[in-house]
Amino acid sequence: MIRLNDIVVKFGDFTALDHVSVHVKEGEFFTFLGPSGCGKTTTLRTLTGFIEPTQGTVMVKGADITHVPIEERNIGMVFQSYALFPTMTVYDNIAFGLKIKKMKRAERDQKVREIARKVDLSDEQLGKAVSQLSGGQQQRVAIARALVTDPSIICLDEPLSNLDAKLRIQLRNELKKMQADFGITTIYVTHDQEEALTLSDRIAVFNKGVIEQIGTPNEIYNHSDTEFVCNFIGDINRLADEVVDQLIRQGGALNRDDHNYIRLERIHVNAALQSGDVGLPGIVQKREYYGLYIKYYIDLGCQIIKVIERNDGANIYEAGESVTAVLNARDVMSYTASGNAGNSGSGR
Amino acid sequence: MNQAKGKRLRPELLIKVVGALFFIYLFFGWMLIPCWNTLTSIFTTTNAAGETDPWAVIRFFFAGNMAKYVWNSLKLAVCLVITVNVVGISIVVLTEYFDIRGARILRLGYMTTLIYSGVALVTGYLFLYDSDGILTNLLVNAFPGLSPNWFSGFKAVLFTMTFACTSNHILFLRNAIRSIDYNTVEAARNMGAKPFSVLMKVVFPTLLPTLFSLTIMTFITGLCAMSAPQLLGYDSINPEIVRLAGSSTADESFPQARAALLSIILATFTIILLTILSSYERKGHYLSVSKTKTKLQKQKITNPVANVIAHIYAYALFIIYMVPVVMILIFSFQTYSAIRMKKIDLSNWTLVNFFGTEDYQYLTSRGTYKTRTNSISGVFSNEATIAGIKTSFLLSAIAALLACVIVVVACNYIFKNRNKKRGMVLEYSLLFPWLLPTILICYSYRIFFNSTSVWYVGNTNLYYAENVRILIILAYTVTKLPFSLRMIKAAFYAIDEELEDAARNLGASGLTTFLRVKLPIILPSVLAVFALNFNALFTEYEMSATFSSTYGTTYSMVIQSMCQDEGLFGYNVNASGRRCASTVFIMIVSGVILFLVYGVGGQDLSERLALKEKRQKWIERIKKKVHKTSENAA
Repeated sequence: MIRLNDIVVKFGDFTALDHVSVHVKEGEFFTFLGPSGCGKTTTLRTLTGFIEPTQGTVMVKGADITHVPIEERNIGMVFQSYALFPTMTVYDNIAFGLKIKKMKRAERDQKVREIARKVDLSDEQLGKAVSQLSGGQQQRVAIARALVTDPSIICLDEPLSNLDAKLRIQLRNELKKMQADFGITTIYVTHDQEEALTLSDRIAVFNKGVIEQIGTPNEIYNHSDTEFVCNFIGDINRLADEVVDQLIRQGGALNRDDHNYIRLERIHVNAALQSGDVGLPGIVQKREYYGLYIKYYIDLGCQIIKVIERNDGANIYEAGESVTAVLNARDVMSYTASGNAGNSGSGR
Repeated sequence: MNQAKGKRLRPELLIKVVGALFFIYLFFGWMLIPCWNTLTSIFTTTNAAGETDPWAVIRFFFAGNMAKYVWNSLKLAVCLVITVNVVGISIVVLTEYFDIRGARILRLGYMTTLIYSGVALVTGYLFLYDSDGILTNLLVNAFPGLSPNWFSGFKAVLFTMTFACTSNHILFLRNAIRSIDYNTVEAARNMGAKPFSVLMKVVFPTLLPTLFSLTIMTFITGLCAMSAPQLLGYDSINPEIVRLAGSSTADESFPQARAALLSIILATFTIILLTILSSYERKGHYLSVSKTKTKLQKQKITNPVANVIAHIYAYALFIIYMVPVVMILIFSFQTYSAIRMKKIDLSNWTLVNFFGTEDYQYLTSRGTYKTRTNSISGVFSNEATIAGIKTSFLLSAIAALLACVIVVVACNYIFKNRNKKRGMVLEYSLLFPWLLPTILICYSYRIFFNSTSVWYVGNTNLYYAENVRILIILAYTVTKLPFSLRMIKAAFYAIDEELEDAARNLGASGLTTFLRVKLPIILPSVLAVFALNFNALFTEYEMSATFSSTYGTTYSMVIQSMCQDEGLFGYNVNASGRRCASTVFIMIVSGVILFLVYGVGGQDLSERLALKEKRQKWIERIKKKVHKTSENAA
């Protein structure tokens, strides 16, 4: 469906995108994930035509659109700020693209009302100014406006970043449902890993203008290709050499020279030891209570290790209490000093 | 990076080339070359022997009395800075910071200068305070030692301008004081500071940047003062430039070169002051760091004596502001004889100062009465006044529109190229007239275009006959460019950049995006700038006086002529009546424009929709009532 082939974008001497290649399948929910300034928005803007690449091609459905003007690409876009026209009513905002296409009034009206219904906007809301709507309603208007022209692709540039936490979660679910209903190929840009993991069919993790990994949420989280991805997605412990030594002694195929990581939820407090497990004695230094789970900071002597345990209401440990942190070499993700995936560790 | 280019490259390129040529023509042809000509004229003066003597004017400056004009202007500027700040700060502090009874009414009184300023204000003051003015008579009766001619020269100019120039304090200092975080005041009080020391140590320091800007603006206003010195008789730079511009070498030594020298001196002061101002502004202002700002609450003056003094002072100022307005308003509806005698006749009111005519009777040298039919005429029935209003209306409207169109097009380009040199070059070239006093630009136009050798205007003498109107329009336009640019640019920068991207993404071309998305957003600001420009130009005096000619007599020039004495046998008859009525007319026009700009123009779409809904409900209610009544009748 979408192919970005070997894209390079330069701003003067600065290389914003360095040989980026992505292939997005039809109907897929594909996310560009990465920290600020990593090149994810630049990639999106290259696809939508706001930026012309210094090198490389942009293909949609087999056609090369690299030099096609923005207005002729038929790619819908929802902006970070929604970019709703403040001087127009909700109706006029949605109808804008159809007016530009010189669609007849009756047909236009029908399309606007149809899409409004689909995104849950009432007739009364259509007559309002956009400033009179809530954040969630504004987002729906932005989506309706992007979808009403029947684009082949819809791009969403951090559309939830301006909302409060509760609304963000609510709209995230609505977004996923809408995408499933419309079945449209969706490109989503975010720096929020949780958002990316929840919504996406596949994710491309960006760092400093290059793609570090493309994969499903599970691949990205549990089998991170690079040390950057492993660190960027979720919280993680880097194991001290003494801990790695103990795991190796228990038969773990780890390399002491690698950078070895383990996710917080893969360590258990005071659990019964099974084959290959290592029990490391330590003292609870701090406890953070999150309701659904509890986060412990356990001082092992050689390092402080973070552990997440489900809150079962019974086994709750206090600061200063002596505990055993149980971990297994198969849960460890290893990377060479250059940041690439190492040979050992079952995380790979 | 290469921004994506549309297929329609050629027409866009053509538009760009035409635009670039236009702005080059505007900058060089209408800003740089005429002013450069003025500067060089100083050094190309010929002496009595016909030889070029580059230093003749400079020598004349130090030998003659020219320095007097510069000194007088400087004296006025310095004194104005003190008096305007004292009055300006006190009216704002009294109405916004301290709890003074009747503050709302006081504020309205102090705000009258927003609609009553310039030549209208000066002529109004003159009507009341000149040798036979109603207030002078009262004062002379109260203080017999007072000379009836007290209201002239430096004192009169300073007095008039002090109260005329507090508009900026009302607008900007008021906003600054209202944006103070009340928590800082409470914190100071909590630490033991008394209200007065809170004012001095907490409030004033945050107002300093605004006060500094206001001081510089006041200084420039004083330096470039025109209508007050001209009408009240004070020798300062601007009136002298205008006088010299109209003089010839037959009357005095190189008047044009002297006018040019005075203009350049004025320009030098202006440039220095604006440089100081902009470098100060660049250092930044004190910004509130508060996350939860609290609205300022008025402070009670706890000391009863201080409280009484503050109230007396506030109301005394209110009287000074309001008396001319009220008097002019009353006199504009008084009869010819009441105005002549300057005595209010409560039993006899008339509209003749505005509309219609009356016969005028006068005593001839033979001792008989003679009647001149319809000689007493109102503003809207006096040919000269109507012609002045028409001229001013037309020229101001065209110039205000031109300035807005030029600036909107330029801002769109500047906004698109905001990080590029070409954007900056265009911006600075449009700000160029700000560096020069208005009088220098007008004087330069008058001298430079008063010839048939300027090729880029088709070798046409633009100061000749009706052409002078074109010259006035262009002078109006050019002098309004910097203000328009500052205001409209701010509106452009308030546009969310993603809106343009969104429109392009939805298929709109650059032009459609500009017309349908950006223009509607900035339109209220553009209309406000248009209205404010029109308002200022409609009664402006400085430029009109420089271009003064039969074909370019503007409304302010007509008003000025109304200050001339009514001569024998009905010459300039009922000028005082029309002067009062003109002032009221100007106040109404200014008031309506300010209401449209800040009242109607300030509404956003949601407010307009709410109003529309309200209107519809109201209409429906009336329809229902009508229906019910007709049913009942049936």
